[in-house]
Amino acid sequence: MIARDSELLAYTSDALPSHARRPRVAVFPGSRDETINVVRALAEDGVPFVPRGAGTGLSGGALSDGAVLIGLNRLRRILSIDTDNGIAVVEPGVVNATLSRAVASAGLYYAPDPSSQSACTIGGNVAENAGGPHCLKYGVTTNHVLAITCLLASGAVVSLGNASGERTGYDLVGAFVGSEGCFGIALDVTVRLTRLPQAVRTLLADFLTVDAAARAVSSIVASGIVPAALEMIDQATVRAVEASVYAAGYPTDAAAVLLIELDGPVAGLEHDVSIVETLCRSVGARTIRIARDETERARLWQGRKKAFGAMGRLAPHLVVQDAVVPRTRLPSILAAIERIAHEHGVMVCNVFHAGDGNLHPNVPYDGNDPDQVARVDRAMRAIMAACVAAGGTISGEHGVGLDKVGYMTSIFSEDTLHAMCALRSVFDPDQHSNPAKVVPVHSCREWAGAARQPRS
Amino acid sequence: MTLAPPSSDVEALAERVRVAARAGESLRVVGAGTWLDAAAPVAASEPLSVRDLTGVVEYVPGDLTITVRAGTTLEDVDRITREQGQWLTLDPYGSRAGTIGATIATASAGPLATSFGTPRDVVLGLEAVLGTGTIMRAGGRVVKNVAGFDLVRLLCGSWGTLGVITEATLRLRALPEREETLATGLEDAPSAVQAFRAAMRDLPFNPLACEVLNGALAAELGLGDGAVALTRLGGNPDALGAQRAAVQALGETSVVDPAIWERLRTAEGEPAAVVRLSHLPSRVGELWAASREIARRWAGTRCQASIARGVLRCVLPRRDPGRGGAANAVASALYIGVEATRSFERLPGELWSAIGPRLAPESIELRVKRAFDPGNVLNPGIMGVVG
Repeated sequence: MIARDSELLAYTSDALPSHARRPRVAVFPGSRDETINVVRALAEDGVPFVPRGAGTGLSGGALSDGAVLIGLNRLRRILSIDTDNGIAVVEPGVVNATLSRAVASAGLYYAPDPSSQSACTIGGNVAENAGGPHCLKYGVTTNHVLAITCLLASGAVVSLGNASGERTGYDLVGAFVGSEGCFGIALDVTVRLTRLPQAVRTLLADFLTVDAAARAVSSIVASGIVPAALEMIDQATVRAVEASVYAAGYPTDAAAVLLIELDGPVAGLEHDVSIVETLCRSVGARTIRIARDETERARLWQGRKKAFGAMGRLAPHLVVQDAVVPRTRLPSILAAIERIAHEHGVMVCNVFHAGDGNLHPNVPYDGNDPDQVARVDRAMRAIMAACVAAGGTISGEHGVGLDKVGYMTSIFSEDTLHAMCALRSVFDPDQHSNPAKVVPVHSCREWAGAARQPRS
Repeated sequence: MTLAPPSSDVEALAERVRVAARAGESLRVVGAGTWLDAAAPVAASEPLSVRDLTGVVEYVPGDLTITVRAGTTLEDVDRITREQGQWLTLDPYGSRAGTIGATIATASAGPLATSFGTPRDVVLGLEAVLGTGTIMRAGGRVVKNVAGFDLVRLLCGSWGTLGVITEATLRLRALPEREETLATGLEDAPSAVQAFRAAMRDLPFNPLACEVLNGALAAELGLGDGAVALTRLGGNPDALGAQRAAVQALGETSVVDPAIWERLRTAEGEPAAVVRLSHLPSRVGELWAASREIARRWAGTRCQASIARGVLRCVLPRRDPGRGGAANAVASALYIGVEATRSFERLPGELWSAIGPRLAPESIELRVKRAFDPGNVLNPGIMGVVG
């Protein structure tokens, strides 16, 4: 348990530096039973809590405003691995990449791969319904979770889902995944493992205009070939990466590069690679480089996965944004983002899951300069508004947390927000687990008021 | 692309639910009506039809998503998407006249679930009228979305007990460049099915679908009268050639008309009962043994194993309707000792309360129902009786 100010400082932020909240106290249970005891003791006294994994979140979701912070990263046992059926049961604090390493010798891995996978936990992934570059082909967290043992804020332990057989009844696993810690704590998670592909081909295609790169994405998506990953990295990001220790050999004079990965059985893979090459060239790719070996492949990926870190060179602070648009809208939304950046005098670095239409327009800035902060804020609002207007949404994988609560009313009606409050109340009627996140507080208050009164 | 009319009719539907809630009435949600007998007899005062809510709201082929109103049939969606070289990868059993809304509400899935999952993996957004009479729009029209709590998955498979689905946005796939279906003869024995499953698992690719059929079902489809594995392959010519060779190495294999999948989906007519037994895929041999026992007790039972999913589906054909005691006979055929999850797609009405699902008091399920449909207006009892 941590209660000293100096030590609590480490838990006032997640990976998004623009929000800071001070927990009342932080506790780190060492076992499942200790976790249950902590939550039951808190329930008895009516004290709210915030579950936290590795603190790599990007929406302020694991910040605690006076509530007790429960760190689950000591619950890191892999409870069982069934290679025959391709499933594993893990505690919430197991690190994403650790699980993949543990099953690699059986030719398996855990498919969702957020960029923070070397640090982030499965429990946090479940809370956020985490994605990652390879989710284009393999699906996000919710497509890989079969069952969850859940500790409710009341202290009750319930099991959701069915790992050995089909689901019956309501899809409560589906409801829990992505609930951002508001429905309780996952004590263990049963996940589906995926077979390692027989072969992988990683391509780097570079373009002299962002528009051409965006059109290459659209044509690959439309071709029916589903790449394992299809990532776009724009010039600002490429330059930041290439100037950093993560330099990946990306061409710094290109307007944008695409990192394209195809995987699967050996037979047929080269056929798809050649189609993708042709599609890229037909919209104006300048050069296409195919990684010759695992080392080169790892280097190409390092630039992508460490891009956020590399942006740290550009300014003291960084907004990591997350939004989604329909994939045919990529060329127009990227043009709009450029316009908005220009208009507000901010620098936008785009590095994102283009194949899903999942944008990450990131803005390096100096948080100590109020003028910059105000301009960044206005630019971000304008970008989000443009994505919503294009038929998109406000988060593809980072979650709503604290950061995006204000945007929820731009995409959901009051009635829909009330339905979300109703679902939350099923799991956590007193709103003690991660209070005041995801759904605007006033929506839940109104809903609670309406629910108490019989409808006329 | 046809543009659907504005949703004044969804408002009207919501008003109908509110009126029912005030009057203490209950409503039976109906799409095309093809699955009316599937689940528990609902003690509802009135039907509530979404059949007239049809049509494409938005279809941008380049996005590989389509938004349709809930009463749109599977057949229509299939036709519209195939014109663009795409398909909706849901192939539930039953009539193609079945609706999208019902497919999602019942979480119905067919052989393609092996590679593409069930409705929860395909549905991106939903509009629904909840039991409170309010209209919700959850999810969205994009393929990746974590904004807000996941009401979409909650509604998938909720059998219309939480809300009436009025519109859905679905993820589409491009049609495979080439397709081929293979039939591989198998010995009708648990050990043979078990071994076939292990061999398929070790291949370096996932087929689009792979179902092992028992003799009765194979005969119905004109594939002889022994057990047979039907494998659906897709991909580019190189991939397909390698996949074909790999399957051929597993046993006596012939190429069959891919139309067989459509016949498999629609072969059953109006059976007396349909049950699915499921467990870990490694237990498929035990499930196969259980299905043989059901077939021994109920002559003509047609069985198929989705081997990669560990699901065994048994269809008990209807007997002479004049004969009494059908329910008892079905019950005794299904009372077999096997460790498995049982999901009933269809049962004689009187059997539901005896062997159908139950909602435990104080369970999360029951709390969900009460939160979304406090007046118990929508399809009361269909997800199981309380107790």
